[in-house]
Parts: sequence; structure tokens; C-alpha cells
Amino acid sequence: MDRILKTRLEARLAEHLRGPVYQRHDETEIRIEPGSVPEVLRILHDAVDLRFEILADLAGVDTGEVMQVVYHLWSPMASDWLRIIADGLSRDDPRAPSATFLWTGAEWLEREAYDMFGIVFEGNRDLRRIFMPPDYTSFPLRKDFLLPDDSARSPGAGVRHVERGYGPAGLADDPAAGIRRAPAS
Amino acid sequence: MPPRQNASRPTTTGTRVQAQPQPSTDDPRIMLDRQIGADLFEPIPPYPPRTEREGEFYTLGDGEMFLNVGPHHPATHGVLRLVLKLSGEQVVDVDPVLGYLHRGVEKICENSDYYHVIDQVDPLEYISSLFQEWAAVLSFEKLMDVEVPRRAEYIRVLSGELLRIASHTLYMGFLALDLGGLTPILYGFIERDEIVEMLAALTGARMLFNYFRIGGVNGDLNHEFMSRLGDWMSRAARQTEASAGLLNENEIFVRRTRGMGVLDRATALRFGVTGGNLRATGVPFDVRRAHPYSVYPELDFSIPTRTEGDSLARYLIRVDEVRESIKIIDQCLHNIPDGPVMAKLPRLLRPRPGRSWGACEGPRGMMGVYSISDGSDGPFRFRIHDPSFVNLETVPALLPGNLLADTMAIVASLDPVMGGIDK
Amino acid sequence: MRTSMTSVTAFVKSLPAGVLVRLSPAERLALIFSPLAIGGGVVTVLAIALLGPPFTDFLGANLPLVRFAVAASAILLMTVPTAFVLIYLELKVIARMNLRVGPNRIGPWGSAMSVVHGLKVLAKEDFAPTGADVTIFTLAPVVTYLASIMTLLVIPFAPGLIGQDLNIGLLYFFAVGGLTVVGLLMAGWSSFNKYSLLGGLRAAAQIISYEIPLTLSVVGVILLAGTMSTNRIVLAQSGSLLDWFVFRQPLAVLVFFIAATAEANRTPFDMTEADSEIVAGFATEYSGMRFGFFFFAEYVNVFIVSALAATLFFGGWTAPFNWPLAYDLNWFNPWSLGFFGWTAIVLAVLVIGTEFFAVIVRLFGGREWSAWDAMGLGFLIDLVLVVGILGLAGFIAFDWVHGIFWFMVKTYAFVFTFVWMRATLPRVRVDQLMGFAWKWLLPASLLNLFATATAVVLLNR
Repeated sequence: MDRILKTRLEARLAEHLRGPVYQRHDETEIRIEPGSVPEVLRILHDAVDLRFEILADLAGVDTGEVMQVVYHLWSPMASDWLRIIADGLSRDDPRAPSATFLWTGAEWLEREAYDMFGIVFEGNRDLRRIFMPPDYTSFPLRKDFLLPDDSARSPGAGVRHVERGYGPAGLADDPAAGIRRAPAS
Repeated sequence: MPPRQNASRPTTTGTRVQAQPQPSTDDPRIMLDRQIGADLFEPIPPYPPRTEREGEFYTLGDGEMFLNVGPHHPATHGVLRLVLKLSGEQVVDVDPVLGYLHRGVEKICENSDYYHVIDQVDPLEYISSLFQEWAAVLSFEKLMDVEVPRRAEYIRVLSGELLRIASHTLYMGFLALDLGGLTPILYGFIERDEIVEMLAALTGARMLFNYFRIGGVNGDLNHEFMSRLGDWMSRAARQTEASAGLLNENEIFVRRTRGMGVLDRATALRFGVTGGNLRATGVPFDVRRAHPYSVYPELDFSIPTRTEGDSLARYLIRVDEVRESIKIIDQCLHNIPDGPVMAKLPRLLRPRPGRSWGACEGPRGMMGVYSISDGSDGPFRFRIHDPSFVNLETVPALLPGNLLADTMAIVASLDPVMGGIDK
Repeated sequence: MRTSMTSVTAFVKSLPAGVLVRLSPAERLALIFSPLAIGGGVVTVLAIALLGPPFTDFLGANLPLVRFAVAASAILLMTVPTAFVLIYLELKVIARMNLRVGPNRIGPWGSAMSVVHGLKVLAKEDFAPTGADVTIFTLAPVVTYLASIMTLLVIPFAPGLIGQDLNIGLLYFFAVGGLTVVGLLMAGWSSFNKYSLLGGLRAAAQIISYEIPLTLSVVGVILLAGTMSTNRIVLAQSGSLLDWFVFRQPLAVLVFFIAATAEANRTPFDMTEADSEIVAGFATEYSGMRFGFFFFAEYVNVFIVSALAATLFFGGWTAPFNWPLAYDLNWFNPWSLGFFGWTAIVLAVLVIGTEFFAVIVRLFGGREWSAWDAMGLGFLIDLVLVVGILGLAGFIAFDWVHGIFWFMVKTYAFVFTFVWMRATLPRVRVDQLMGFAWKWLLPASLLNLFATATAVVLLNR
């Protein structure tokens, strides 16, 4: 419960906050619009009395109605963890600005969020899948993810005879239907 | 794979090998297979580059070649695939490919209840599995406003520090093994075995402990654990010095790690590196001191920090950390209070909806857990932040310019554990 | 003849149909091989009777040729058991240094491990990877192995026991030994694998770089001994302990030892087969007996450089202290006993000795030693004692037994040092390796050469 931090945040980020600064135990939480992420992160990183220089985490969240990108930061000047929730990404086309301009390490974290949720980070030079195979067609951590329909399809599926499923429960679908590629990111 | 028809012997330059013109067909499988076959031994993806970086990487310059340090390799720490772009023996660029060990732990935890999560989260960094559990229970205890008894906190610190020593000992052994020395790893395993047997007497398991619980630990200290611990403590300091001396003063080892893979302070902070790798660059960030949890505020220990940022510094910091951990264990043994080891909790855990973040300092860095509760008996979202993931991310920045021989040494000095990286 | 042929065919035709099917495989084998054996025996006897004397006359006239053929065969036959012994030694010694046990299941204390490994590599599938150049792929291990073992021709094992006492022995040694690099390059190139290529190129660069300090460090010895013949170099050191060249060429010994470690691709210079980086280097795509060749070649190489170090610097087969070699065995004429005398003595020693030791084992061993076990152990003890006594007698009486013993002691001391280095030291990086060879070893060996030449000239005035 760092009250000083709360006052500093309210002072610096007044126009970006989309709700009150929420504090519980040793965490401080703010909600912002996804569009204001670069500016907010820049202020938090550079301001002399804030100095949130360590990016602890960058996560995607699917609440069922909207998607969020959640950042956790740490500063030597504050005794709390700071959580920034960029709220309100649509579930059909989630886009958010990338934090790689400030932290190069955000690149892989954003790749993971893209891979698991489909959140497209604009400005990330390398937004491709990181855990799932490159031609995987769905996003596993979404709440509407159904496992049986979304098994991975490899470009070489069905070419080797051992991979041809025989019958309705077979592995490969109709190979003549063409090669299914990963959606263009 | 059907045999290549009329394929020229592939060269090691050029992005795609042009096979001789083949009889035309409109079977897409055969066309695709020919395309794959043309690049039979080149690790170039058979689809167009998806991103700017991928296109930049998979374009060969003059005199460069790809070498696939593949998932099957005697020295990658687990199933890690590094696609290296080499110019002779010098690494020009590297593209790590992950996901060979991805098990969907986060999704599984969303479908489990809070008790089961502890078991699921163990195999992440399997070498030091208590720290994942600790991060998870820290997060859950904040969600549920549970207060942990002091004796349980001391036991957590005790077992955690023992496991930290075991993990660091193994790290030293693997670093030496990747540099060619066959002996230190076996000595490391002997020391680790003593500690792991101790923890087996305490928790019942040697590797994936499943010991921490929300509100405490699963079982008090017992006689066998205390006697083994006492035996070990009487020898620990001397043993540490001996095995550290095995490598510290070895000329070949020092020459191969000094100045290698230098990570400077600004780069480390930009990558979000934590743990020993960050402290080797001069930033004294240790979650136990920066954002204390458990009973660490009462314990007296220092944070070893070095400024060189090379592999040798990363190695020496871990040696120092082992000494500090022995100090901490000593203090725990003297100060441990009596009391219960588990808080009183309802059988069905249904916390209020909310969010919490808990982080602890593991041997590789900050292990963090962000969990969202929606009032049901399991987490709605369970996000694990693994330190090895960001540590490995620095590899494309550290490797270029070094020789192939240093590749494995630098990756080993960062201490990656693929279980945690791939979740 | 025709009648016998017709009778044979009639006999075969008269056999009931399906007789072969009703025979067991062993009987079928016997049925096929017995006429072959008989025919072969007849042919051999005829050949010896008709061609024997001219052949033996020919051999007698060309004794050096016979000697060479016997020496070459002996060397070829010796390499594989040597490799086996070295492999076992390495596994066991490194295990002990790692506080492990090492092989202990197969054979007493695991000593048959190498044999079983050898049989295993023979039994593996023999294939070449896709895209490999099969001819060169097959020839590479052969070249490497041959290059290693041909050098054994000029190593003096004992006075009078040398393959061929060439005048240019050392030159031959380094010339032939340098062919290993050809084999490694062939292996690296033909495997169609980037790891192999890197390993082969590293091997080539390393071996070529270290050839020069190796040969230069030896030139000092040549100057001191005045000859390139290994036999005469050993003879030049045969005065006393202080005649050994190690005392007169300390720098050369050091340079030689380090360069030899690099030549043999041993740790700390085993970049070419660095497990942790390039899987197995040039040998990545090799399996089965092809890999077995490389494996054996490496261990024979270790033996050879150890043997050379012992020969050139440590006196070869000479003993460190003067041994009363000339015990006169003439008071005892072995022919006087005759065949039956010798048979009686051998039987008496074996049988009575076995019983004696069996009784002792049974007395002291206790109840769990059955009669057969005790006899077996007694036989073993008896055998060891007899061989020991005979060996000791040979050691005192025959100078070649004596010579081999000391030669092997010194060689295996160096082998043990190589194994010890492998167990303890990490690997040196490629560019550090090259830098070390060109910047340190080469000037050191040149310095040694000039100093030796100056000393020889000055002292001979």
C-alpha cells in the first residue's frame, strides 16, 4: 500500500487513467486505454520520481468479454508492484501497441501473448508464433478455444503414406483440399 | 520422404536451392514436397517469411551458412533449437525456436482447482521446482488473504535455499560440461544428491516436490531431515570451496569464460533480465531484498553483485550465492519458531474475485505468477512469468560475433531450463 | 574317374526326396562342409608336398621379407587389443577420477567391456547418410586407421624387436602419421553434414598447425643422437639414467607432449570431436564399424605418441637403473629334458599347484567355497604364480622381455597422463588453440632447436 505512489501516479497520468488507482496488499493497479500504452509506459519509465525501469511481466488476459494486456513493473522508488491493465481490446480483432520501443525484452513476451491469444502488437518487429508450430490456426488460451477442432496441420500432412488417416477418424483431412497456411499476421 | 529427383548437390550459400526442372504436376502435396525436398537439409521454413525479422534472418549474405543446433543436441539445455547463421565459425545471427516442450501449463491450471495448480506448476523449472510453487502460493495467498504461520515461512525459506544451492551446483557442473570438462558435473551431482535426498526426507519427492500449500507447507520437519541437514551443514562450507576451486582456478576455464557473452547493464535492463544474470551486470536487484516476501526481512544476507557482465561473472555470482544461502540456512536453523505449519483454510477454496501478482527469487531470476480469480474454485487466469524465458531472449544479442564454440558456453552460462521457457 | 563321378551322382540321386529338409541345420552344415573340409585337406597336403620345399627355400633366401611380413602382421594384430586395453583403461580411470565405478559387469572388473563393444560395432547396420559420397565416406576411416598403425613400424619395443629399423625412421613416422589429416578431411567432407564439415576443417587446421612444433621439437633429439633411426636413438640413451634425452631437452619434451596431445585430438585439444558443440565432429554420421575404425585409430594414436615420447626422450626400452641382465642360464639346458620331461613338469606344476591352492582356498575361504569353485580359484592362482615366475625368469634372462616391460611401463605412464588430462581439463577453444600453436609452441621449438644446435657445435669442437 504505497500511498505516495498513488498520488504520484494520479498526478502524472491523470488524463490516461480510466478508473481509480486500486491498491491491495503490495500491488498498485491502474487501468488505461490500449492506445495510451506507449505514452504511459514512457512516463512511468522516464519520470524522475517514478522510474519503473524493470519490466516484470507482460501478459495477455481473456476475460470472456474483452481482452486485456497486463504489464507488471517494478521501481526502486516505490514499495509496491505496479500493474497496468490495458483494457478493452476487442475479442475479434485485438490490437495493442508494442512495448518494444522501451524494452527489447517485451518482444518475446508479446510473441507469447500473440501466440496464446491472438493479440496483435503493432510495432513488434517479430510477431510470430513462439510456442505453437508456425502453421497452427488458433489461439490456445482464449476462452473459446476448442481442442479437437484445432489440431495442428503441417504443410506436409498426408504426403507420407503413414500419415494418411483411413476413415473418418483418420488423422489427415482431404489432402486435395489444399495446404492450409497460418493466417497472415 | 520421396527421393529427390534431379536435385543438384545443395550449396551452403543462397537461400533456396534451385532443383532441376521436374515434370509438372498439379498435386499440391507433391509440389509442396518438392519444395520441402529442395531445402532438405537447410533449416529454412517452407513458407514465406511472416515478419520483418524472419525475412531478415533467413536471407543469407555472402559466405554465410545456416547451422541448425537442433532440438536433438548433446548440449542444448533441453529441447532448444537454435538456428545459427554462421560465417565460417563466427556466429552472425541466431534465431532461437522454442515450443518443443510446451505443455500448456497455463491452460491446464485454468481448468484445475487451486490445490491442483501446485502440482501442475512443478515441472516448469524442474531443477528448482519449489520456487514455482512459492510464486504460485504467494499469489494465491494474496488473493485469499491467508496468513502463513511463521514456522511454515521459515521452513519455506530453508527448503528454498537448500534447493537454490542444489540448482547452482548443477549449473556449475553443466557449464563445465559444455566447456569440455567431464569431472565437475559428476562432483556437482554428488552434492546435489545429498541435498535432494534431504528434501526427499522432508517432502517425499526428489525432484518435483509438491510441498508448498496455500497457507503453509505440507508437513513439518522430521528427524531424518534434520539429521541429514546437520551432517551436510558440517561439511557444506568446505565442500563448496573445494568444488568452486575446481573451476575458479582452472586456466582454461577462465580463459574461455572471461569476456565472453558480455551483457551490459543497460541491455540487461532493457531485456528485463533478472536474477544472477542481472546482478552480474551491476544492478543489485534481488526480489528478496527489493520486494521482500516471507521472512527475508529478518534474515541477514548480502546480494553478491559484479560489474563485468561476462560468463565468468555470472558463474562467480552463483558461487557467491551458494555461500550466502548457507548463511541463510544457518540463521533459519537457529531462529525457527515453533508452531503450526499450515494455516486453517476451508476445504473448498473460493476466493473473492480479484487479481494478484506474487513473485519470488528463484535461482535463475524472478519467478512471478499473476492470477485472476473469478470466485470459482480454480484460477480464472494463471499466468507464469519465468526467468529463463527472458534470460534466453538475450541470446540473439549476445551470440553474434562469437565463435561457434562459445555458443553453448554462453547459453549455458545464462542457465536456461527449457521446462520453464516453454511452459 | 568317370565311374566314381557317376557313382557319386547316382548316390545323390538315390537319396530320398526331401532328405535335406529333414536334417537339422547343424546336420545340413556338416553335410555341406565335410566334403569341403576333406577336399580342402587333400589339396593342402598336396600343395605342401609339391610346393613346400621351393617355398621354404624362397623364404629362407628372402629372410628380410619374411621378417617384414611377420612384423607387419604382428603390428596389425597388436593394434586392436591395444585399443581395447586403452579404451577400458580410459573408461575405468576417468570413472575413478569422477568418483564413479566405471564398467564392472562384463568380465572381471569389467575388462571384457571393450571386446563386447567391438562386437557390438561389428553388428550394427552399415549405411551411409543421404547425399554422402559413399566411396570417400567408406575410405575415410580406413585412411585414418592405416595412417595411425603404419607408424608402429618404426617403434622399438625391445632390443631386436622393431618392425623395420629404417634409417629415416622418424621422418617416416611423421610423414605417415600426418596422413590422418587426410582421413579426417575426407570424413568431414563426404558426410554431407555441416557439423562434420566444421569438425573436419577444425581437425585439419589443428593437426596441421601442431605438426610443425611436433617435428621441430624432435629435431633436437635427432641432433643429439646423430641419427633418425629410432633404434639408434634408443641405443644412444642406453648408458644410464642421465643419458636419457629428457634431461638434455626439457623444453622439447614439453613442446612435444603438448603438440602430441593436439595431434591425437585429446582433451584439452579435442575441439574436433567436441561433444557439446558439434555433436561428434567429423564422425557425426558414422556408426558401426566405420566409427569403430575412427575410435580405434584415436586410441592407437594415443598409444603411438606415448610410445614415441618414451622412445625419444625417456630411453625407450632401457631401464632407469642398471639391471644385472646377464644371468647365465647356460647351466640349464632346456633340451635335455625332452618332450616327456617337459610334459611331466607342466602337468605336475599345474595339477599339484592347483590342488595345493584349492586346499588353501577351501581352508581359509570357509563353507561357501564348493570344491569346484576352490579348484577353479586354485587353478587361477597357480596360473598367475607360474606366469609370474616364468615372466620373472624371462625378465632376468632375456633382454627382450626386459625391454618390452620397461617400454610398456613408460608408454602406459604417458597414456595414463593423457587419460588424466581428459578427465580433468576442459576444452580449449579453436582460435585459442591455433594462437597457442603458432605464437608459443613454434617459437619455443625453434628456440630449442637453435640452442641444441649451438650446444652440439660448441661441445664437439
